[in-house]
Amino acid sequence: MQIQEALIALLVLGPILFGLLMFTGVKGSARSALVVLGSLVTIGAGVALPFFNDGVTVALPPVVTSLANVLEPVMVLTVLAIGFFIKSWPVRLMALVQLGLCIAGFMAPHQESTPDTLLVVDKLAMVMVLIVSVIGSLIALYAVGYMKNHEHHAPVTASSTNWFFFILVAFLGLMNGLVLVDNMKWLAIFWEGTTLCSFFLIGHDGTAEAKASARRAITINVFGGLAMSTALFLCAHNLGSENLSEVLAKGPVVLLPVALLVLATMTKSAQMPFQSWLLGAMVAPTPVSALLHSSTMVKAGSYLILRLSPSLHDTSLGIVVATAGAFTFAVTSALAIGQSNGKKVLAYSTIANLGLIVCCAGIGTPLAFAAGVTILIFHAISKALLFLCVGTIEQTIGSRDIEDMSGLLFKMPLTTNIAIVGMISMIMPPCGMLIGKWMAIESAVGTTPIVLILLVLGSALTIFFWAKWLGRITTSSYHPKYTIESISPWMRTVLTVIMAGVVIASLFAMPIYTLVIKPMYQEVFQHLGAVVLSTENISVLDNVTAYLGWPMLVVIATIVFALVAGTPLFKPSRLRLPYLCGENVESDENSYSFRSIADAPVTTRLSSYYPEIFGESRITAWGNLLALLIILSLFGVLIT
Amino acid sequence: MSIPLSPLMVVLLILVAPLFGALLSGIDRRITARAQGRIGPPLLQPVYDTIKLLRKDPLLINRSQIIYAHLHLAFMILAMLLLVFGQDSLMFLFVFAFSTLSLVLGGMCVRSPYSRIGSMREIMLMVAYEPILILLMCGFYLANGHSFMLSAPMTSAKPMLLALPLLFIAFLVVLAIKMQKSPFDIATSHHAHQEIVKGITIEYSGPYLAILELAHFYELALLFFFIILFWSTPFWVGAILASFSFFLMTVVDNAFARLTTTWTFKFMWTSALILAATNVLWLYWASK
Repeated sequence: MQIQEALIALLVLGPILFGLLMFTGVKGSARSALVVLGSLVTIGAGVALPFFNDGVTVALPPVVTSLANVLEPVMVLTVLAIGFFIKSWPVRLMALVQLGLCIAGFMAPHQESTPDTLLVVDKLAMVMVLIVSVIGSLIALYAVGYMKNHEHHAPVTASSTNWFFFILVAFLGLMNGLVLVDNMKWLAIFWEGTTLCSFFLIGHDGTAEAKASARRAITINVFGGLAMSTALFLCAHNLGSENLSEVLAKGPVVLLPVALLVLATMTKSAQMPFQSWLLGAMVAPTPVSALLHSSTMVKAGSYLILRLSPSLHDTSLGIVVATAGAFTFAVTSALAIGQSNGKKVLAYSTIANLGLIVCCAGIGTPLAFAAGVTILIFHAISKALLFLCVGTIEQTIGSRDIEDMSGLLFKMPLTTNIAIVGMISMIMPPCGMLIGKWMAIESAVGTTPIVLILLVLGSALTIFFWAKWLGRITTSSYHPKYTIESISPWMRTVLTVIMAGVVIASLFAMPIYTLVIKPMYQEVFQHLGAVVLSTENISVLDNVTAYLGWPMLVVIATIVFALVAGTPLFKPSRLRLPYLCGENVESDENSYSFRSIADAPVTTRLSSYYPEIFGESRITAWGNLLALLIILSLFGVLIT
Repeated sequence: MSIPLSPLMVVLLILVAPLFGALLSGIDRRITARAQGRIGPPLLQPVYDTIKLLRKDPLLINRSQIIYAHLHLAFMILAMLLLVFGQDSLMFLFVFAFSTLSLVLGGMCVRSPYSRIGSMREIMLMVAYEPILILLMCGFYLANGHSFMLSAPMTSAKPMLLALPLLFIAFLVVLAIKMQKSPFDIATSHHAHQEIVKGITIEYSGPYLAILELAHFYELALLFFFIILFWSTPFWVGAILASFSFFLMTVVDNAFARLTTTWTFKFMWTSALILAATNVLWLYWASK
């Protein structure tokens, strides 16, 4: 019991303390050393936690509960202060209502409930802690290299880099706290804490665009926070419990607070119509986008909704949640097709995958739950890698436009090859992402046809933008020698480490499923009993475990074969220029010009399709309207 | 009908399937020739063509191109094996789709405007037909007592065609797209010259083009086998159904002019999708 508690304290308080040390004004390599130390400690604690896990629930002393009573109004007052600082009426109003709920909570007669169990350290929580502490810390390490460059180019309005690192590192502590607590008051505190962190990180550069994005992020997320405070109030005063697990155990009577919590998760997971804050967040320095999109912030929403998942099974509320998620998945996949801005494509793809998780949570069967967790894990790793790659590319070529990324394989071989691995891991069978999507579709067949058709359409659309991007970055002529790119060793190391993680996770996707995800849903769905669990269509998965190794072996064998058998063939004499319907201009070796009328050279240009049907403004307007109606139905089904 | 999974069977299939695919392609060429008042090439002409290509000097543009060609073939063979051995239907689809995706990427990685346009068109086509295929698999699932394994329709006593008539019609359109038949031979074509020259495969030559040809033979065999699933007991009815479908494709190929990608996309996402969805809906209601 002792070691587990110490580790948890280290996971939650450690990053915050290391962050606070930034205020000593350390500079240069001392600051880097501090970030490295903090990251290593967090990674170590996160990895060690499963080994010292000796109890699912941990009760903390009453003083911790009392501390929550103090911290809750402090958080709300901070939000209120920010509301005044950025002169935003909606934020001020929502903060005031939250303050009102807070005060009402104190005034109302307290029901003496059972002693507070504060923490839940089950398998889902431990996996989530692992993702937050390992991937989050690696991103912090990448930031060390990235911010060195960024400091030189950042606008004068940018806040100090020490402040940036304080928020970045403390964010991880708050996320770990959010994942582990069962007490809803603490959950709300951590929830607001992550909102504040993302507000400061998005606004870091202080430009007009950054300020506007930060403002949008806080407005939308405080709305989610308000929904959560209301749920907390209802639970504490109508159901007499502040612990999430106890509340959920009460059964169908709790659907209203559950619906409010779902609403909160949807704002945080940037589901339509709340997606705009996550799209705006890409103005921030790249490590921030990588952090928000992969291991923290949006995953807080996914995590909480997966916790609620068993309560949603077979309820009308669950069907609406599944529809909302599937709708977001389909619409944002379509939106990604029309974008040539690399970060925006990644952002839409993140929102789409979060939609898939929400959809799975709404379906609420063990198979759907397993699908949701699979997507959560593999998406976190791959998306962190892809964001960091785009950030590196952007710092080098000065553009994040996909159409500018031609010939990148020659200019930045390392980063580009790593990016290719990341993208392949999103679409190739049998990598984790595809297994997740596969389970999601199989579990959706049992629900309403609308959910199924939305998932089917969305999954067809995702092929489009990945293929377009992959094709663009691999476009190159033949070069006898590769250049060695010069990027900061910090960034190179982190990229390589995460890429290794992606490759290993992809190769061992099925063992990960058997060893990690299967025990997890068995734990979460204990109440169904072993018989139901084994007869659920989960058994489909066990059948295929045997043959899923095939595709991976085939891929590796093929690539090795193509490289080994093909290498002797790569002679300059065998190389040709592409056919251009005219004589190629042979002036220099990489000419893509041909002789046109009167022998005038014409250079060919290549660009991809961005079909008008997938235009952003029109789809967003209609999509938001429909999504709003689905959100309304969330509460509509509870009234009837 | 069910085929036991054994190493011998795997080897046999890998050897026989391309010959069968080449034969299908040869028959197609003969019928087309007769329709145009020609005698046409020998039935095994596709085999001779491929062998000749294999013996040519390898010429290339870059390394990636070659890797993608190999991936295209390898995943096509894998998809065929997953199908024949009655494995999970959605995983079969994903592997099949990734094979096509490799072809697309192979076309995109060279700096040729023609092959790029071909690739972009092929992706549009994929997005257009992929939902129909997934819904078809959901149709198999609902009509077969909730099993996603392909072995279920393969061994089912009742013909799937009777349960999935609308999905079969939608699938025939997908078949025309996959076989690169007019009016859907938009991304690349069997005919000598189209407005984007040879489209997606233009920058492949010699042995590498042979690899793509080989993959196409596997694809034809795979599609033929897939149609048999619609009437698997007795097996010969399915074989007749498949032969008839292939004949229909040849007729359609000769009777229609080429359409545009946008038209195809809109058609697939409206008419074909509504057909498929209606079929899935009634199966869904029937299973409730």
